[in-house]
Amino acid sequence: MTHLLDIRDLHLAFKGLSGLTEVLHGIDLSIAAGERVALVGESGSGKSVTARIVLGLLQEMRNARVTGRVAFDGADVMTMAQKDRAALRGTEMSMIFQDPTSSLNPTFTIGNQFAEVMRRRDPKLDQAACDARATEMLTEVSIPDPGRVLANYPFQLSGGMNQRVMIAMALVNNPKLLLADEPGTALDVSVQAQTLRLMHDLVEKHHTAVLFISHNLGVVREFADRVYVIYRGRIVETGPTDAIFHSPGHAYTRALMDAVPRITGAGLPAVPEVSDDFLAPMVRHDGGAS
Amino acid sequence: MTLLSVQNLTKTFQTPSGPVHAVRDVSFEVERGECLAVVGESGSGKTTLANMILGILGATSGEIRFDGATLPAKRGPVHRRAIQFVQQNPLSALNPKRNIGASVRLGLDTYAIGPRADRWLKVEEALEEVGLPREMRQRAPSSLSGGQRQRVGIARALACEPELVVLDEPTSALDVLVQARVLRLLNDLRARKKLTYVFITHDLAVVRNVADRVAVFKAGQLVELGRTEQIFSAPEHPYTRSLIGAVPVVDDAELELRNKLAEGT
Ligand SMILES: Nc1ncnc2c1ncn2[C@@H]1O[C@H](COP(=O)(O)OP(=O)(O)OP(=O)(O)O)[C@@H](O)[C@H]1O
Ligand SMILES: Nc1ncnc2c1ncn2[C@@H]1O[C@H](COP(=O)(O)OP(=O)(O)OP(=O)(O)O)[C@@H](O)[C@H]1O
Ligand SMILES: [Mg+2]
Ligand SMILES: [Mg+2]
Repeated sequence: MTHLLDIRDLHLAFKGLSGLTEVLHGIDLSIAAGERVALVGESGSGKSVTARIVLGLLQEMRNARVTGRVAFDGADVMTMAQKDRAALRGTEMSMIFQDPTSSLNPTFTIGNQFAEVMRRRDPKLDQAACDARATEMLTEVSIPDPGRVLANYPFQLSGGMNQRVMIAMALVNNPKLLLADEPGTALDVSVQAQTLRLMHDLVEKHHTAVLFISHNLGVVREFADRVYVIYRGRIVETGPTDAIFHSPGHAYTRALMDAVPRITGAGLPAVPEVSDDFLAPMVRHDGGAS
Repeated sequence: MTLLSVQNLTKTFQTPSGPVHAVRDVSFEVERGECLAVVGESGSGKTTLANMILGILGATSGEIRFDGATLPAKRGPVHRRAIQFVQQNPLSALNPKRNIGASVRLGLDTYAIGPRADRWLKVEEALEEVGLPREMRQRAPSSLSGGQRQRVGIARALACEPELVVLDEPTSALDVLVQARVLRLLNDLRARKKLTYVFITHDLAVVRNVADRVAVFKAGQLVELGRTEQIFSAPEHPYTRSLIGAVPVVDDAELELRNKLAEGT
């Protein structure tokens, strides 16, 4: 099985006031073409930084030290020239950032930002062609009034509207890999379900692979083929989505599953003490595409 | 006793492409010590409502009363301290030039809360309560994960010892274990200090487990308001039913309840 994305023994450390702090301690993760893979786990455990390394963003940061292997579509992202990495972003791979202000520029209208993204793929597109295609994409993510939104600046839109704009923008160039960091958090559940279904259909149609980062395990269960669970910079469990949800093997995964609040209303889940079992070796369920 | 009262509140934004009716004639009351959840469509005016309660945005028309008196458009320090905000987008809510500790401390200094010599300790305790290490005080906001920033926003609001806290998606970037811890902290404080919450969220499972009452918004209007048990056992408005029908669930008991409510039987 060849992988579209293959990460091996990835380490990351930040230089800070008190010397080097390692935040990723050897991550292995791979995604096949067209596969939907979720990365779930503790807040601060290293999900967003992993995605930013795949995009080549942390390799360019002065106080970050990255080692290991990251192969994308046969090319080595770690040793690639900076300009080649930049050329991949927004075309072959795109990212929906967790924080909308890192994706959307506050000083340009949504219409201008769409055009800029589309011209990365095809520099000759004129504004009318860009607007037409952007309107089509915004309609697909159920933005009710795309004309108004294209003329607006991000601050004039609600949190969820900005998120849908980012999803539409990330998919407009048909990337091979979509890195989606908490793409549905600001959406109401109906729009979220609809947006994720759409994302699901689009990635299926275009054979786009997705690394899906989310704290919403219900959404993960519906969206992903396979799941990686991360705790404090280490993958603690991996396997097909069904296996992770029906027979979680690692103590951390089980604690996580038990803590999901339920609409049946049993009250707030009890919070277990952090246990040494959370640091137990990785549990691997076989099966799935990779 | 009513702490917050919103009467016929309306907000219309004028934009080059025409007026946007973000909040339309909304009225409700919140009791002291109560947790009112505000849920609803994306873009239905929830954040706009929060901004008006905080005095960040002026209302087009209508009135907001707090503790029996009308809130002025321009708020003095007493109200600014008493009504705290945990914002939806944690990065834009934190000053990038201040480290985390200084951001949390700012409110303590501004409102002269506690003796000066104790304030750093109070900052560290506030961070620890939301599950962040004390050393995080030194760090820049840009070096924090999404969920870490979100918890800084909560710590900062709570450190000001408010009476009312408006929380706009306060736990959307937290894993469910950390979320449970933060929600328990919020519950404890509410019981101990009689805090009042307006809790805006899309997470209906969280709402089910923390709120006393639920307000459902759609297109700028309040379409249903009721006790939590009632909303989750017999939702009346079709929009409320469609919302509950779309909740992502993880177990079969939830699935059954969801399907039952969505059908309206
Ligand atoms: N400054 C502004 N200028 C113009 N329109 C605005 C402005 N702020 C908000 N709006 C519009 O008002 C409406 C309500 O936005 P608001 O942010 O209150 O929604 P929300 O309910 O918080 O949504 P979400 O759940 O997506 O965060 C939206 O249509 C939005 O585009
Ligand atoms: N520039 C930086 N300097 C120092 N530490 C950093 C920096 N960026 C991230 N970190 C740390 O690296 C760890 C991993 O961060 P990351 O953003 O990947 O977490 P995450 O898993 O995405 O969490 P969340 O679910 O809260 O978004 C965190 O503890 C964070 O504080
Ligand atoms: Mg993150
Ligand atoms: Mg909002």
